[in-house]
Formats: sequence, C-alpha cells, structure tokens
Amino acid sequence: MERVNRDKEGKIWAIGGGKGGTGKSFITSSIGTYLAGKGNKVVLIDVDIGGANLHTILGIKRPRKSLTDFFETKLPLYQLTVKTGIEDMYLITGDIHSLSSDNIKFFQKLRLFRHIMKLNTQYALIDLGSGSHTNTIDTFLIADKMIAVVEPEILSIENMYHFIKNALFRKVKVSLRAHGFREIVDHMWMSRKRYKIKNLKDLIDSLKGFSYIGDILAEELSDFTIYLILNKVRTGQDILVGSSIKSIFMKYLGIECQFVGYIEHDDSVWRSMRRRQPFMLNYASSPCTKEIETSTENLIKGNEIKLPRV
Amino acid sequence: MSREDHKYYFEVLELSPDATLSEIEYAYHHLKRLYSTDSIAIAPLAEEFSGKGKKKILEQIEEAYTRLKILLKNEQSIPPQKKSSVSKDDLKSEKDDSILFSGPGLRRVREKLAIGLYEISLSTKIRLELLENIEHERFELLPQEVYLKQHLRNYASYLSLVPKKVVDDYIERYRAWKSRDEDNTY
Repeated sequence: MERVNRDKEGKIWAIGGGKGGTGKSFITSSIGTYLAGKGNKVVLIDVDIGGANLHTILGIKRPRKSLTDFFETKLPLYQLTVKTGIEDMYLITGDIHSLSSDNIKFFQKLRLFRHIMKLNTQYALIDLGSGSHTNTIDTFLIADKMIAVVEPEILSIENMYHFIKNALFRKVKVSLRAHGFREIVDHMWMSRKRYKIKNLKDLIDSLKGFSYIGDILAEELSDFTIYLILNKVRTGQDILVGSSIKSIFMKYLGIECQFVGYIEHDDSVWRSMRRRQPFMLNYASSPCTKEIETSTENLIKGNEIKLPRV
Repeated sequence: MSREDHKYYFEVLELSPDATLSEIEYAYHHLKRLYSTDSIAIAPLAEEFSGKGKKKILEQIEEAYTRLKILLKNEQSIPPQKKSSVSKDDLKSEKDDSILFSGPGLRRVREKLAIGLYEISLSTKIRLELLENIEHERFELLPQEVYLKQHLRNYASYLSLVPKKVVDDYIERYRAWKSRDEDNTY
C-alpha cells in the first residue's frame, strides 16, 4: 500500500498475528487503556470485519454506527467514534453486517487508510482480525508499529509466521511496484526453481542482488520491524519461546524483531470478560496489568523486555 | 582485536557489542538449544528450511562463541571469570556417556563449571536444601520419584548435561536405595 503523507503527529499501532483467540482484542484494549491513562487521546479501531468484538471486551453496547456506514456512505471516519467509558479513549467498530471483507473495493480501502492517518488523535490502535487476507495485511502495513501477538503454542506460532511472511512478501511486492517493477517479484517466485530460490529469504536476497532494486528494498524494508508480544504465558520456558521466535525471524527470515513483552495467563482476564468489565481498571493488581504496562512502555521507548534468566 | 572487529559475532549471538561473558554464555546456550532441537518455535518452518540451513546457523553460532570467548579472555579490563577457564576438553570426561551421574558426580561437574548451587536454585526454582540433598544423596529426604525426576531434569539441563542420562543414572541409585530401605523395614 502506498504510504500517504501524514500531516498529524499521531501514531498508528496495528495489532495482528494471524490466529484468532490469541488475545489481540484484549491486548489492544488494554494497551489503549494504559495509553489513555497516561493522558493520551486514543482511538481504537476494530477492523476485525465480521468478528468485531472490542466493544464487548470494553463492556459497552455495540455502537450503532460501524465501518459499514463508512464504506456505504460519505461519512468521515471520525464521526463513527464512540466513547468507551474510559476517559480519552474512543472506539470505531468494524462490525459489518452487509459486507464481507472480500467486498471491500480497493479505493474504499485506500479511503479508510487515509482517514485513519488523518484521525485527530495521539494514538490509533488497530485491532486486526485473524487470517492473512490481503486487506488485513495491507492494514497491518500502514502502521508505524506492527505488533504481532502470539501464544507459546504451535498453532499460534505457525499462523503468525504465515501472517508475517505474507506481510513481508506483500511489502516487497508493493514497494517494487511503486517504483515501476510490476512483475518481477511474481516472476521470480513463479520460476523460483530456475533461480534456486527455496524460500522468502532467498527471494529477497536474490532481489537485493540487483543493484537498483536492491537499493529500493534496503530502503523500504529498513523499518520493517515486528514487535512481538507473547500472550498467555504459563511457565518460564514459555517466555523463552519469545526469544526463540525473535531469533528465527532474524536468522531464517531476515526480519528485524523486537520482543517487547509477555503477558501471563491469568484467569482473572477471563473472569473480567465474563463480567464485561474493562480489565485494566478492575484488576490493577494483576500481574497481567503490570506486564501490559511494561510492554506498552517498551513499545513507546523502543526497548525490549528484560528477561529473567530461566 | 577489539569488540568493534567482532561486531559480526555479537550479531550472530544477537547481542550488543558491550555484552558480558555471562550474557554471551547464556545467548550461546539458548541459541544452540534452539537450533539443535525441534522446538515449537522452529517446527512450523521445518519444511521450508533444510537441515543444511540449520547446520550452517549452528556452525556460525559455534564460531561466534569461540571467537568471543577468546576476545573476552584477552580483555584486560575484565577480570577473567572462572567459567571461561574451563575448556571443553576439561569437561569432556565428565560429559562422556561412560560417567555415572551419582550425586557426587553431578557435584563434580557443577564445580568444574564453577556454577554455584544458589545460581541453579534461583533459575530452576528448586530449593537450595533439595539441591544439596540431591548431591549428597540423602535419599530419605528427597521427594517422590516423579517430582525428583523433574528436578533432576531441570538441574541437568542447567548444567547442559543430557537430562535423560542424568535422570536414568540417578534414579537407578535412588531405586536401589529404596528397595534396600524397604527390605530393612520388613
């Protein structure tokens, strides 16, 4: 996706990661709550089309207006914001009845991105749905910080790799397309046997071998960093999975990755959701609350988590 | 020979160039374990990346570790730590399959590595007294076999020993004691 020039100072963080149920919405709302608590204006955007549930996690009624209205009318995005019950934090919901995500036209998507970038807010947190649909990936790619939520569990890790690989592939394609190289990525991938390309890293390495293309890619991929949050951690060994994923990202895929934090498995999260209470405010003493604060601070400052030696 | 010249090796171990010896040791062991076993973090990519790729990464890790250890040894400003003075050959005899991992045997390995019981206790969350009891083979004070096995496994992997071998050896001795003990009771 073409990066639109930003005239606002606000930051866009997208929370994705492939698999459903890993806690993306919970983490989005909690990070938002923390940022708002620090005096920032925060807008949560639930683009989980068809499965929007941020409002439930926040314990509020489903907003009457959703992204459907944005797509079907000329309504500007900011008019869809509703209060969340938490001061300085607002919500735009993606609950779409009539449109499946496939039906969103290219120009509609661009319009949404333009409006997100123009939102008058300090932080726009985008809660992505599961899966690796192009629309989901493009939304992920417009963010200033691409945050991946993963559980230390094989299915979740597998889906997350798939999601990130797709994002990287898309980024490479779009970057080169913007410079007039329309076909090269697909061409090389289709005839990968001839070029002895086995995987995405090989592909990118070969592309970097062409002098002009190499320069473009080096520039475009220089800020391709994945910020990793490990959720539902149960043991010290689980935490190490985060460091392992980071290492594999760098060594196998050539992607920068920062492991910003882990969040323990805590039944009180489940309890608060069942009672439809916003978690951060009601469970201030839970270790999860502390861990979310730490993770968010690391995101703000660009730090990594300091790990206990296990 | 400066840290600047070794930047690449620090990168291989995913460390910043001001890393300490213990950080290097830790990173090395973590990465070595990661790329030599089939952990859940790596399994989903197994099809795409051949064993060759893994092997190459492991070689890079080994090389980086060796180089950095030499570098740190030569650094005057940092007092040499005990741990670095143990060469692999020293340990070989202890890690050899032929050695029996009795309590005192484990203790010997640990002392050669210059690792304190307290350090193990901190990271494995095994009580200090229990570790002592394991090393002194005070079998009557040890917990049930299932728990004991788990403790032994954690202890062994902290010392980079093969957990299965340690557990098997130790439990054999434990069982021998137990049957003697039961014989005496009746």
